[in-house]
Amino acid sequence: MRHKISAILTVIILFFVAAPMWAHHSPSAVFDMSKEFTLTGTLTKVDWVNPHIVVYLDAKKDDGSVENWKFESNPPSWFRRVALGRDDFAKAIGQTVTVQGVRAKAGGLYGYLLKITFPDGNSLELVFKPTS
Amino acid sequence: MTHRLVIVFSAALLLASLATADNKDAATTSKAPRAADGHPDLNGIWAYAIDLPPVTLKKVINGKVSNAEIDQSAAKPAKRPVPGALPSTPAPTYKPEFREKVKDLFDNESKTDEVFYCGKPGVPRIGPPRRIIQLPTEMVFLYEDVSGDPYRIIPTDGRAHRKGANPSYYGDSVAHWEGDTLVVDVTNFVENGWFGEGGYFHTDAMHVTERLWRDGENLIWQASVDDPKVLSAPWTMPPRVITPSEDPLEESPPCVEDDGHRLLNSDHHQQR
Repeated sequence: MRHKISAILTVIILFFVAAPMWAHHSPSAVFDMSKEFTLTGTLTKVDWVNPHIVVYLDAKKDDGSVENWKFESNPPSWFRRVALGRDDFAKAIGQTVTVQGVRAKAGGLYGYLLKITFPDGNSLELVFKPTS
Repeated sequence: MTHRLVIVFSAALLLASLATADNKDAATTSKAPRAADGHPDLNGIWAYAIDLPPVTLKKVINGKVSNAEIDQSAAKPAKRPVPGALPSTPAPTYKPEFREKVKDLFDNESKTDEVFYCGKPGVPRIGPPRRIIQLPTEMVFLYEDVSGDPYRIIPTDGRAHRKGANPSYYGDSVAHWEGDTLVVDVTNFVENGWFGEGGYFHTDAMHVTERLWRDGENLIWQASVDDPKVLSAPWTMPPRVITPSEDPLEESPPCVEDDGHRLLNSDHHQQR
């Protein structure tokens, strides 16, 4: 009888203690999240691809030369579920936008887009802590 | 004596709660819609159930600020007891000789996990279907996934598994009803897949059982994995509660992985 009760208790305890095993996403695996920077330039292209959308920006340096920056951001399925599509970015192709992001630890003209501000002042921002 | 009384009393309370759960199970499933053949109706579009970044969108449009967050409950283990669910544990148990391999795969997941590089998650890692089409003799499961949009056509007419089919990531499925639960039996897997992000590799001997049933308006999905070559016991995952969705399926954009070569260490990146 005692054995049976133990078995039942074990089953019930296992039933209730099942805990999440999924990790949390962090762009910190690739990007230096501690160093945000801002870049203004011409939006040239938007790739709506998995696992991250990609936004291309031509930014003019002080000496007049142009750098071709590439920013990835959240997955397209995330953007879709906050009711944003490719056109919400692509409508500004050829226009001057300001991007706030973090740079790849590996260097290069590669970053993670955290915020984009369009010529009309409208902006889209990824907030990694839930807003209250 | 007091100790024994406490145990007996606790057991009685827990048994009573189980009995209540059973009654609740019967009550909820009986309320669920039914197909013409009397089985529960699993048809429908179900919530997106793949982990997404826990990020809030802050949008400023014409000076008006709004925030949008995503309900990720379908991608997580159920936070409440689910009527009809099997006992589950958070993680599988490998035979001792394979535990170091699991740890090593997990520690180097961003280099060793095919799913990181747009690979197919397979069953059961892909999770519950996004859409179910229930026909009298078969079920059609449709998915949206980063690696593409797989489908499964699952006979429910009592036939056996196909013979001579090539092994695959999604395996060969047949299903039957056990009461109000659809039980999907899946075999014939490739041997180089993972059934979970924790380095949970499997062999070609993996055998997956998925259980799907209705809990009121929701769909419940729970999977069990057995792989006698590497697991010391079958593993039953925690159930997931999937809410109905009005978000239609959409073709997933192509997968073009561009982060792997930028990783300077073995930090985890999260798949599922």
